[in-house]
Amino acid sequence: MSAVRWGRGAAGFGRALWPAGPPGLLAEEGALGGSWSRKRSSTASPCEQDRRKDWGHAELLEVLKARVRQLQAEGVAEVPVKRVAKRVTVARAPEAGGAQPPRQAQAGAQGAAATPSSRWAQKLDSDQQLTEKRKQRLEGKLRKRVEKGAWQKQLRLEPRLLSRKLAGQLQHWEQGAPRSPWEEQLAQLLQEAPHRLSSEAAAAPADRGPESRLEGQQQRLLSFFECCLLTGHLPLAHHVLVTHHSKSQQQRLLTLSMYNMVMLGWARQGSFKELTYVFFMLKDAGLAPDLQSYAAALQCMGRLDQDAGTIRRCLKQMAQDGLQLQGLFTAVPLSAEERAELLRAVRKAKPTFTPPRPPVPSPQVNTSPLLREIYAKDPAVSYPRLHLSLKELQGLFQQQLRVEMATTITVESVEKVPLLTKEVLHARKTLAGLRTRWRTALYRELQETKESEAHAAREGRLSLFPYLCLLSEKEVVRMLLQTLQALPAQGESLLFLAHELGLRVFKRKQLRNEVQELEQRYSKYLHLLASDTQVAEPCLPRQHWEALGVPEAPHEQPWPMSVVVQLGKQLAEVLVRAAQMPSSLAAPRSPGTLIPVLYHVYSFRSFRQIGILKPHPAFTQLLETAAERTLTFESTDVPMLCPPLPWTSPHSGAFLLSPTRMMRSVEGSQQHQLLLERCPPAELHGALDALTQLGNCAWRVNGRVLDLVLELFTDKGCPRLGVPAPPSEAPRPPEGRQAPKRCLLPEVSPAEKAEMRRELARRLKVAREMQSLRADALYRLSLAQHLRHRVFWLPHNMDFRGRTYPCSPHFNHLGSDLARALLEFAQGRPLGPHGLNWLKIHLVNLTGLKKRESLQARRDYADELMEDILDSADRPMTGRKWWMEADEPWQALACCMEVARAVRAPDPTAYVSHFPVHQDGSCNGLQHYAALGRDSVGAASVNLLPSDLPQDVYSEVAAQVEVFRRQDAEQGVQVAQVLEGFISRKVVKQTVMTVVYGVTRYGGRLQIEKRLREIHDFPQDFVWEASHYLVRQVFNSLQEMFSGTRSIQRWLTESARLISHTGSAVEWVTPLGIPIIQPYHRDSKVMIKGGLQSLTFSSSVDTSQKPNTLKQKNGFPPNFIHSLDSSHMMLTALHCYRKGLTFVSVHDCFWTHAADVAVMNQVCREQFVRLHSQPILHNLSRFLIERFCSDPRTSKSIWVSRLMDTLLSVPKTGTFNLEQVKHSTYFFS
Amino acid sequence: MEFVEDVTTLGNTGTGLRGCRSETKRYITSPRVAETLVRILRGKRKSCQLFLECNPGPGILTRALLESGAKVIALESDETFIPQLKSLGKKVNGRLEVVYCDFFKLDPRSRGILTPPVMTSDMLFQYLGIEAQPWSKGAPLKAIGILPPKNERSALWKLLHDLYSCTSIYKYGRLELNLFITEKECRKIMANPQNPGLYQALSVLCQIACGIKLLHTESCLSFDTYTANGQLAKQKHRESLEQNLCFIQLTPHRNLFTGSLTPFNYDVFFHMLRQCFMKRNAKLIDHLHSLSPIDAMHILKQIKKNKDVKVIDMYPEDFQHLFETIECSKDDNYKWLYDDFMEDVII
Repeated sequence: MSAVRWGRGAAGFGRALWPAGPPGLLAEEGALGGSWSRKRSSTASPCEQDRRKDWGHAELLEVLKARVRQLQAEGVAEVPVKRVAKRVTVARAPEAGGAQPPRQAQAGAQGAAATPSSRWAQKLDSDQQLTEKRKQRLEGKLRKRVEKGAWQKQLRLEPRLLSRKLAGQLQHWEQGAPRSPWEEQLAQLLQEAPHRLSSEAAAAPADRGPESRLEGQQQRLLSFFECCLLTGHLPLAHHVLVTHHSKSQQQRLLTLSMYNMVMLGWARQGSFKELTYVFFMLKDAGLAPDLQSYAAALQCMGRLDQDAGTIRRCLKQMAQDGLQLQGLFTAVPLSAEERAELLRAVRKAKPTFTPPRPPVPSPQVNTSPLLREIYAKDPAVSYPRLHLSLKELQGLFQQQLRVEMATTITVESVEKVPLLTKEVLHARKTLAGLRTRWRTALYRELQETKESEAHAAREGRLSLFPYLCLLSEKEVVRMLLQTLQALPAQGESLLFLAHELGLRVFKRKQLRNEVQELEQRYSKYLHLLASDTQVAEPCLPRQHWEALGVPEAPHEQPWPMSVVVQLGKQLAEVLVRAAQMPSSLAAPRSPGTLIPVLYHVYSFRSFRQIGILKPHPAFTQLLETAAERTLTFESTDVPMLCPPLPWTSPHSGAFLLSPTRMMRSVEGSQQHQLLLERCPPAELHGALDALTQLGNCAWRVNGRVLDLVLELFTDKGCPRLGVPAPPSEAPRPPEGRQAPKRCLLPEVSPAEKAEMRRELARRLKVAREMQSLRADALYRLSLAQHLRHRVFWLPHNMDFRGRTYPCSPHFNHLGSDLARALLEFAQGRPLGPHGLNWLKIHLVNLTGLKKRESLQARRDYADELMEDILDSADRPMTGRKWWMEADEPWQALACCMEVARAVRAPDPTAYVSHFPVHQDGSCNGLQHYAALGRDSVGAASVNLLPSDLPQDVYSEVAAQVEVFRRQDAEQGVQVAQVLEGFISRKVVKQTVMTVVYGVTRYGGRLQIEKRLREIHDFPQDFVWEASHYLVRQVFNSLQEMFSGTRSIQRWLTESARLISHTGSAVEWVTPLGIPIIQPYHRDSKVMIKGGLQSLTFSSSVDTSQKPNTLKQKNGFPPNFIHSLDSSHMMLTALHCYRKGLTFVSVHDCFWTHAADVAVMNQVCREQFVRLHSQPILHNLSRFLIERFCSDPRTSKSIWVSRLMDTLLSVPKTGTFNLEQVKHSTYFFS
Repeated sequence: MEFVEDVTTLGNTGTGLRGCRSETKRYITSPRVAETLVRILRGKRKSCQLFLECNPGPGILTRALLESGAKVIALESDETFIPQLKSLGKKVNGRLEVVYCDFFKLDPRSRGILTPPVMTSDMLFQYLGIEAQPWSKGAPLKAIGILPPKNERSALWKLLHDLYSCTSIYKYGRLELNLFITEKECRKIMANPQNPGLYQALSVLCQIACGIKLLHTESCLSFDTYTANGQLAKQKHRESLEQNLCFIQLTPHRNLFTGSLTPFNYDVFFHMLRQCFMKRNAKLIDHLHSLSPIDAMHILKQIKKNKDVKVIDMYPEDFQHLFETIECSKDDNYKWLYDDFMEDVII
């Protein structure tokens, strides 16, 4: 081992044993270097010194170091250092005597166990003598550093080969090693034809198919290797690879990519010998090396400055294997530095070689006919710009960058400031003291856990060790303390907690590192958006971003659920063990022993037990008393302070450093990601650009509304207006869960006590519900307060059907009335000639009145009420409070204020409005169905036809039901007679609304039953029968009015059922080109044993399980309609952007400035017509046949032939003329 | 009941309609057995006693009871038997009342619309005109039945919940149950530390709540099994045939609620036992830590147990004593870590 390296290690001595900084930095030298170094020293080749220069992932390290410095600047706790120092002294004592002999003996034993390498071990010993002096010096240092027990075990680095021939070769070479260069071996080895090549080739196409997924265990292995590489525990990865390789059972789990990964690790370090070992194993496993393997080998040769002959042989072999040299540079993801090394090697053999240019991203153009106009270059367009200057935006970027670097953000709570009594101050002090103590304890526990996991890894098991090293200890400890702080008083299920913790580690380790590069690129990108800059050619944000640089490196695969949960559980256990408090907190008189803060208790439900972690009530009490007024959020849970990164691929966009997925999905499912990755990039442009555009809308907080809400919130709340009341308002019994005094009296009968219990339970339930509502509101309002006076952005992504959502969960425009009222556009726009009218109409819409009146009538109504409106705006809490009666009171109030400001402006048309005006689709799902089926009657009832007054589908269904009822009543059907006079819009509304989304008769009946129960004079004895009758009639009426709709629904359901029976999940592509797959499979159970409790969870996204037919079939119609409505929304968004409008959406509710409502409406209608002018159902049928019926192997299956028949009979459509939609005023209104 | 489809995994503690479809039931079809039972239940009494017979089925026992001069209320959950029973009733001038009702599914926990045979005990007792009696008084009636073979345990748990909370049928007094139960379960509910292999939370709860008397043992062969709709089912498993059924009497203790265990806090007692028997071979002290914040050593001292006592070494009375000790401890703010919220957690 080179002295250089030791020197470095010794310098970092204090931190070396357990790196306090991020992984990879010191672990390399400190943790495993000890045992590893001995071997390496014996075979040090002349070039080793050389390769140190560019050792490792230097670049990455620089960035990581920067981050360490940043973290340290925040004040590293001194505790761990002390702790380590103590440890070392302890460790040294037993070592000092005779550390050498036992370790050698063990090494010998190890060597003997590994059959082919026993001689290798001997040779090592003789080699060691040659470097005796240096080694002794090193040993001296080593002894100081080595921890007792931890490093004594040797890592197995020589492979154990199962093929005797290869083993013989390996042995032979090893013996002749001193002279024969290792690279010779590799070259020769390459020429050995892989003996399982043919079988491999057969398996290859399957790999690329949709079935391609690693099974659980393989996924675990791969992510383990990945983590090892990331944390610099390469020898460990190698060790585990060898251990698995040497057992034929386990070897089957290993895939080429795993060998490649370890090889790449060695290549980066320039360790040629180990790389050759892996190559031996790869051959031994009968795998054929691919481009990545060659890339690794060549890269290594490049680093070692190998002679041209070897390289030439290697390249020749590569050509014989049918691999293109160009491919190394195009198909293998490489960092710039790796590329350079690779090129260096190749140039040695072929001095004239020039690598192909990376593919230029722009020539790919989306070909969807729907998007042609969006990507047309002429006529020249001017896209909207932000109202901020480049300088301002750059400042905002810096702010956001700081937030994301810190990974969490602390926000002041809007809860009332407590009086700083002695008690409060004391509680705060106690808490602070406890936290210091816990921090120390957590460090200790974490180190111990790591130690035992490291031990397990050394035994060849897939332990959690590398995962635990991903984040710095400081970061982990901080995360755990936050968890403790945020744990609700009633506890949290261990499974949930474990999952959360595991995911957080995963998310944080993914943080992007190339900050500088990002900064430059982003700054250039801003030229497109800023108000005071120019770009050469107007283009979409994504196009501009892509033009600024090369596409990003591929993202990492998510970890399997079992790893996530296991890691989280391990961390939760660390927390349970570490968090203790003096028992005197709970009971002041008891002696000063320590008691745990967290308890693991079970909750029983029938035969299931759920493990729960629950804080000690005294701790909860302490937190309450201390009333600390800070809330901590993950940086990704908060809106962004600068425009989000444009979406350029399914995994890059939105936040600056934290990778976000374009498609959110159930945790643990990979199928969506696989589909998206396989999709040609240009196909996704529509979705990428629409999401980018939604995220680029700048927002600000409506300060006046916030003030009013806060006033209520810090006072007594107002549940009627959606402001939750504080806990003090809850019907809480004074003694908590304790029995009321009366309960203890013997004369009170058991039955009465039972009654008291029920009453108490009821109160507790109400209190708990209030508490959770309150907490939600607290988060939202605190964030709003935090963002007041700032401009912010809500980055968007979508669900698996393409519906879009803002990424930040607590504060966004998707929420309740209150949440929406707090937001307005940061960019204003003059009202223009019609803006004020739209404001008035919007205000009336928000009241929920005049739904069936014309726009003119609504406007007139607003004029009539102007006095009330102005009164609400001026004296919201003290005046006539007209706004409080509205359906959406807070938005109505905000609108009142806007109207007031506009009418009082000297020139209302010039008044700059920030207020978003909404237009809603009327029963949007049915609109899409009616258009699909060209149902004339249905289309008219959902406003696809121009009409003077808005139509109301619910009233019409109710009328139709009434027709049927009268007929039946005349026939003498009793229940029909009973129902006379009770059939109203309200009774049928919910069922009609949800029928589009697949509500069944069963669910529909329950909905109607609820409504009937609300009607007081309805004879309640008939409820069951009547609801049964009504749901049948509602379905019949829909059938009558939307005949096409029902047949389409049935066709979709039947197709899905048959597809599911053929063993596949239903897939389709939206008109915009987004691939969709329904993630419903039969449950598979995963169990994690040991520790606090065994955790079992079932997952429905395991693609190795058969599809869940019921869910596939019931889910298809609504999911398909959602994929259409999302397409419509995206088309509208893109076209509005092209016209320079501000546009955001809440699914089927579109928002824009008052001045632009008319334009948006026009675009919305046009795009609806465009969308449905496509042969949507025929395209779907064609796609499904191609996807599920074209495989010759299955064509004989009865399901496939039935599926084929069904798919070919696409439902017939009606006679509705779609063009009429363009003139329908009330289509969206 | 809205989510009937989803509760399959929860097992059915009489919660939903689930189970109606494929449930099989045992019925007494042998006149010999019926005679034996009447002899046991009636002794030499001639008085007009009131019996509540659950799922009489073909009515062999019903007939025998009526013949002995008793009054019978027959709660039958299978509609197919109802006409038969009703015609029997006509012959005995009012001494037999037939109700379409499932005794083991009275008062489902998830309230929704109830359709017969599922109903509330209030509906039933009101219909029958039976008044509630104070706990200290005797039982208003005796119930006879056979625990549903598929889910004996959940039926038992439900009965115990009702009993400890003084709700459902126990709201009307200390009902005496005479039940057929498989021998295996019977041995379990009567177990104590002397047969640790069978000892469990259910044993403790049963023994604390009721006097348990084994009245009679009968081979399974003497019963017939019917599926729903009154179809005679073949008994498939040999071993289930070789099993015995035990006829036991469960009489709630009069003094059950005289201590600090009451219908107000019984759920904590339940929780304590279930938690303890999760790891039955562990030391009690380890469980105490996750049950109550009160100093575990102090509690053990009070109940006079040494610190190494294991869960399975504790007799039912010891558990009751333990519970009451903690419940009565004076100077601690928090007696239990348990919070009834946890029963509602949904994952």
